[in-house]
Amino acid sequence: MTALTTGRRSMRGRVLAQRWLLGLLAALVGLLFVLPAIWMLLGSLRPGSDVIGSVSPLSWNTLIPDVWTLDNYASLFGPLRFGQALINSLVVGFASVALGLAISIPAAYALSVFRFPGRELVFAVLVVGFMIPFEAIAIPLAQIFTQWHLDNTYIGLILPGIGNGLAIFNLRQFFLGIPSELHEASRVDGASEFRTMTQVYLPLSVTPVINSALLIFLAQWSAYLWPLLVVSDDNIQVAAIALSRTFSDTSFNFGQMFGGALVISVIPAVLLLVLQRYFTQSVATKGLK
Amino acid sequence: MEAVQVIEAVGIPQGVPTPPRPAASPAAAREARPGRARRRRVGRTWLMAAAFLAPAVVTILLIRIVPFIGAVISTLHVRDGIGLLAEERFAGFQNYIDLLSDPLFQATLGRTLLFNVIINPLQIALALVIAVLLTRRVPACGLWRMAVFIPCTIPLVGSSIAWGVALRADGPINGILQALGLPTQPFLSSPTQALASIMLVASWVGIGYWMIFLIAGINEIPDELYEAASLDGAGGWRSFWSVTLPMLKRPLLFVLVADTVANFVLFVPMQMLTGGGPQNSTTMLMFDAYRRTYTYSQPNQGATATVILTVVMLVIVFVQFRLLKEDAR
Amino acid sequence: MTRAAFGKTLALGAAAAVLLAGCAAGSSSADPSGDWSIPDEDPTAKINVVGIIDPVADNMAEVIDAFEKAHPTIDVTYQYVPFDDLNSVLDTRITSKSGDPDVFWVDQPRVPALSARGYLEDLTEQFSDRIDGLVPATVESSSYDGKLWSVPIANSTQVLFYNKDILDAAGITPPGSSGERVTWQQLKELAAKAQASGGADIGLMVGQPDRYYQLEPLPVSAGGGVGVTGDDMLTPDITNDGWVDAMTYYGSLYRDGVSPKGITPEQTDATFLAGKTAFFVEGNWMVPKMQDATFAWGAALNPVWEGGDPATPTGSWSLGINPFSKNKEAAAIFIDWMAIDGQGGYGEYRDFAELPANIKGLESYLAGPAFTSSQGGKQSAEVVNEESTTTAVARASTVGYIEFEEIIGRAFSDIANGADPATALAAAETELNGAWKQYK
Repeated sequence: MTALTTGRRSMRGRVLAQRWLLGLLAALVGLLFVLPAIWMLLGSLRPGSDVIGSVSPLSWNTLIPDVWTLDNYASLFGPLRFGQALINSLVVGFASVALGLAISIPAAYALSVFRFPGRELVFAVLVVGFMIPFEAIAIPLAQIFTQWHLDNTYIGLILPGIGNGLAIFNLRQFFLGIPSELHEASRVDGASEFRTMTQVYLPLSVTPVINSALLIFLAQWSAYLWPLLVVSDDNIQVAAIALSRTFSDTSFNFGQMFGGALVISVIPAVLLLVLQRYFTQSVATKGLK
Repeated sequence: MEAVQVIEAVGIPQGVPTPPRPAASPAAAREARPGRARRRRVGRTWLMAAAFLAPAVVTILLIRIVPFIGAVISTLHVRDGIGLLAEERFAGFQNYIDLLSDPLFQATLGRTLLFNVIINPLQIALALVIAVLLTRRVPACGLWRMAVFIPCTIPLVGSSIAWGVALRADGPINGILQALGLPTQPFLSSPTQALASIMLVASWVGIGYWMIFLIAGINEIPDELYEAASLDGAGGWRSFWSVTLPMLKRPLLFVLVADTVANFVLFVPMQMLTGGGPQNSTTMLMFDAYRRTYTYSQPNQGATATVILTVVMLVIVFVQFRLLKEDAR
Repeated sequence: MTRAAFGKTLALGAAAAVLLAGCAAGSSSADPSGDWSIPDEDPTAKINVVGIIDPVADNMAEVIDAFEKAHPTIDVTYQYVPFDDLNSVLDTRITSKSGDPDVFWVDQPRVPALSARGYLEDLTEQFSDRIDGLVPATVESSSYDGKLWSVPIANSTQVLFYNKDILDAAGITPPGSSGERVTWQQLKELAAKAQASGGADIGLMVGQPDRYYQLEPLPVSAGGGVGVTGDDMLTPDITNDGWVDAMTYYGSLYRDGVSPKGITPEQTDATFLAGKTAFFVEGNWMVPKMQDATFAWGAALNPVWEGGDPATPTGSWSLGINPFSKNKEAAAIFIDWMAIDGQGGYGEYRDFAELPANIKGLESYLAGPAFTSSQGGKQSAEVVNEESTTTAVARASTVGYIEFEEIIGRAFSDIANGADPATALAAAETELNGAWKQYK
């Protein structure tokens, strides 16, 4: 064996050990973050008051139930009408994403590709837009929507969610990184701006489009104050508010509450898992080759 | 191959000098022609931009900006009587003077600034570290990414209540500390630890969110840059500082600004876990504004607190834009 | 577009803003009039009712159905709102002056505040000759400034629950459900003894720690009053001896480990049911939950301050009418059916889930299975009857109640976490005076 081959073998060993270490670290970090959620999950499979009853002293029973039951989920999807609420949230979420992307992508494109006076001013307006805390404007806005008979409608829930300055900001940052040569080349080939946007920029932007879609979706998915003020009909009410049905002023069912919270979280989490495979493409590998 | 030559070949002009292109293209030639044609093109660009921007700008103006202007106008009024049905009358900057001269409000303002100065860089740094970790070729990294992301999908009310139980004096967290031989902590019942506990909850929820954007940014960095750097003799650390960080400037700006806003408007954990206490140690500006508007039914004062909050945020975000500025394109 | 055009657009936008702000403040409507009465014949009307009771899970839909059967010409749309969000919903809907909702749930201690804000229709004329069938203390809680502002549909009181197994193990004779009361001071000693030799982790726990509703009896019984005085009921009175003594006692419960720190009101019921708590002062709603207890339990009269008069918390939910409602007659008929008719439709069709304010309903409530199927249940019935009729002390009746409850709650929390009571109460008094400036 020459010194070269032993050198290579030990380097491979080092890389392997490094990967093992990183893998362990990643698993540890992942577990740390998800452990409280696991506690909530197992808590939702216990009878109502067992979650609190088992909190102290710390033992395996704190995490692992001794009595397992699906009663909480039966209540959630039965008398607490979570199923309908989830459907409402999904409808609002997906519609908001579709409409939101339809207006955000062109806006981000214009803000990064076009050069015109006042460009930075418009961008500033959009940034200021998403910095305004919603609580500051919720009541008057809700009253206006009610006057226009948009209360208790899906449209009333969707509209405030489609103008998401953060989603536009995210796309603009990405578009700024796409080499302008691509744009010039496309225009030289005779394509309109719209075609350039849809056929050149968009295919390169799968990841940021997904991220902006997630932004819009999560913002609508977790919205509480707006649905509270604008929806009073149970059939249209969304999941975030439905979670409040698991407790009243004199009773609090932790098992149901945890179960409801996790049911609400499952959909975005699964969405991310499914969309993850789009996260590995990069401009460099797709763009100029 | 030199790093600069690699970048030139790949064509990503990010803070690294690129050699000038030959001015032979017809587009460049068009640029050189002066006068009416150029003005016509600028006008067309404006029209095009307006068409692309109009839906978004109109929506944001109508749903956010215009109502906010209404809120700002209301801060210049006081009411004769109580609640939203009472008559308003113009009072100039009286509300601002009242609030800013109240020592409790001043303390809230200072506390909010302190909170954000600590938590924003902390969350971003942690999110970055975890993003870097989970973009190495690690087995099951997709699973771990989802694991870190899950907390931000759980409704904040649910997370807050769960953490409230976990941080009890006899709760699981203290149980783990005891098992490790450490003394138990008062967490949410201590004026010194309550804010840190809220930061813990907020970070548990937020880090996964920002990590996603940073992962996307990291994946955009072409491998050739890393190869070139390692050929130049840079190890893991150096290539992080000289390749990863500069290339992440744009996503980092986004994450920093978005995180700043998210932390400034955060109030649900304080509402659920501490009510602003103990001894006002967790009363932040947004919580104070929310309480004034929705609990005390003092809409004008609540709006004033919100406007002050927004102005502070604007200043900080402006500074962040300046710091992570890139050259105009 | 030129800069001038841009400027013009901005001006237009600002004008729109002012217009919208004005629009939101409310459409044109005359001052709400109080000149109406409950008709003998049902009108044909549609009313909106906003409540905090879940229609399906807590049977509110059945109540509404029963009402519509009894009054077929009145169509009720019931809308559920989570109880801690009721205020923001009312703020939005009542102030739009559209008359929606017609009827809504009113938390009794907030009656003065809501009437001062103009959210409640004065019901004195329409209801003052109909309320004989209601527990008098509940009517008082719905009154302010000599007028009746809402009609009570529920009441509340407290019971001293104890874990009999733990007390037996520690050799403690349980306090009785009639006759002599244990004092707070004695109770603390008994609780400590239960922890030492009865196997209890927690000696004494209250149902809603750090809340004014729960702790009000301490200073009242100690002679310190409800915390607010003055002709206008806008002078805080929380730094007198009674209050400081009571709060020193409260703080000592936590400092000496008799009460557990950091358990929030949502967790206390489940904690008691876990079986490691000796004494638990909680509301009457705990009695049905005790049917799930895995240990022997009993109920006793509430403790009294040594040398003081007994005092127990009281007050609960009531129904109010929107002053801008366009269907006040129908709304009043609904309220009458819910609260006053017979045993009170609200209580009857929810199987008396809450302590009724209706006297006939109270009898049915106490005859329910929770109160008759166990020794503890029977003791609870005795206690509930006694306390709700003789020792109930209403919370401070002030327009500044919301601020009061919030600020004093924070002071209680600070005291439980170790702050010096006199200092904490003085700080709260200062903050209260600041918060109440707008009312004076």
